[in-house]
Amino acid sequence: MADVEFNGKKFVMDEDGFIDSFENWCPEWVQYVKGLEGIEELSEEHWKVINVLQDYYKKNGIAPMVRVLSKVTGFKLKHIYELFPSGPGKGACKMAGLPKPTGCV
Amino acid sequence: MPEGQFCNKRPVNTDEELKALLGDTGGQKYYQEMKALEVDTALLWSTIQKTMKSRIKTWLSICAHCGMCADSCFIYRVSNRNPKQVPAYKIQSTLGEIVRRKGKVDNAFMHMAMETAWAKCTCCNRCGMYCPHGIDMGVMFGYLRGLLYQQGFVPWEMKIGAGMHRVYRAQMDVPNEEFVDTFQWMVEENQEEYPRLEVPVDKEGADILYTVNAREVKHYPEDLAEAAILFHIAGEDWTVTSEGWELTSLAMFAGDWEACKMQVTSVYGAMERLKPKRMVGTECGHAHRATVVEGPYWAGRKDGQTPVPSIHYVEWLAEALRTGKLKIDPEKRIKVPVTIQDSCNYIRNHGLKEVTREIISYIVEPGYFRDMSPNREHNYCCGGGGGFNGIGLYRRQRNEALKTKRDQILATGAELVLAPCHNCWDAIRDLIEEYEVPVKWSFLKPLILKMAVVPEHLKPRE
Repeated sequence: MADVEFNGKKFVMDEDGFIDSFENWCPEWVQYVKGLEGIEELSEEHWKVINVLQDYYKKNGIAPMVRVLSKVTGFKLKHIYELFPSGPGKGACKMAGLPKPTGCV
Repeated sequence: MPEGQFCNKRPVNTDEELKALLGDTGGQKYYQEMKALEVDTALLWSTIQKTMKSRIKTWLSICAHCGMCADSCFIYRVSNRNPKQVPAYKIQSTLGEIVRRKGKVDNAFMHMAMETAWAKCTCCNRCGMYCPHGIDMGVMFGYLRGLLYQQGFVPWEMKIGAGMHRVYRAQMDVPNEEFVDTFQWMVEENQEEYPRLEVPVDKEGADILYTVNAREVKHYPEDLAEAAILFHIAGEDWTVTSEGWELTSLAMFAGDWEACKMQVTSVYGAMERLKPKRMVGTECGHAHRATVVEGPYWAGRKDGQTPVPSIHYVEWLAEALRTGKLKIDPEKRIKVPVTIQDSCNYIRNHGLKEVTREIISYIVEPGYFRDMSPNREHNYCCGGGGGFNGIGLYRRQRNEALKTKRDQILATGAELVLAPCHNCWDAIRDLIEEYEVPVKWSFLKPLILKMAVVPEHLKPRE
């Protein structure tokens, strides 16, 4: 676990740079991760993806399938990659404060 | 016998149990509970007596301690040649010791054995090639993992992975209908460019039954689209199955032997139901080992074969290029220095070393390919095999292990690494990120797709 301070907020990250607990997520975390993910400006579309991921996680305790993410947001897969270059399973989940997906990812 | 709520000897068999385990983020409580987990020494010894066959018994007793295995192990080499990282030492001090003590080992011993089995060996089987007696520590660590799993001493992610196979017959929470829907969604998203693209589901008697890795369905569906498009361009008669579509086995990494059998039986069931001429699996290394090489034995198949002939994606690709089903536009061949990662599981352990090089001869402009050293069956593990990539507890050790591959890649001067295996692909991605290595990496499918000639009749009408 590593600590990081950003815009006056302290975060604890796991070994892969995911936030230690969904409970500790706050908008400053998104600002912190966006730099690491190579995202210049956060648009409403980024926030739409983040919100959908968080809603799904709150209900199900796990990240959704990309198909579900695409269906609920209305974004095609290519567009999701344009928004989150490291992919929905990694970059988008990280920003949304979800834990690192388990399995071969 | 203190069994934890999360860490215990019971396999995960329901979705509720999976969700509960996932809710313990990073396995924080799980590993706390493991500190109090008792070893059922009677069970451990009786299991060894029932399952340890003559090969492993012989291997444990004939080791001459010659040390020839030491330098064969990339983890030993990357650990400043620490004697505790010599393969013979690693297996003798764990499995060998359990046998010598007739199973009478304690919690601290099992913690040490767990770290050795999952963080000091990736089951790459390279040592077995260099041992004068042919002793394969990778095979023995696979066996040890089974003993550890039974006792509940298994990394958190591996317990979840095995549980996923038990509940979903897939390494992730992907229900069968989601698999079909995702494949169809990917086809629909690409129909503008390929108007007649389709994914035939449960077609009987097709030439090819295509099987995948659940991660492609859950997190990387573009891989499904690429597979469909390449079969389409090649004019193949192919299908997928709505049940038994998962090629991988985190159960194998976890040492959950029962789940290993459950998983491959589901795939073999699909083969028997749909009767394809053959099965083609995706660009995965361990999945090929699990379902094609080892699986028939797990399933108790006397001939050691899958119900229909089964090949790796690289074999299909080489054949499609050789027979002209897929044609490459010479102008679009790779024209940057490029190397390839030889996956242990189908190169060293299944002899496909020249198959990947045949593919390279079609897709790389002559003069641009640079082999790593060593290569082919002598190549080193990517650094993240055997489940190592996925275990947060051992991230520090895994990142150290990545240095071998990093240095091999850098020595080639390549700007692009071909990685036709998910584990290798992940490890190379992570070493690029961890050590800021200025290279790109890729599966074969997306590269082939960029350079394949699309027949006129498959193109959209203007």
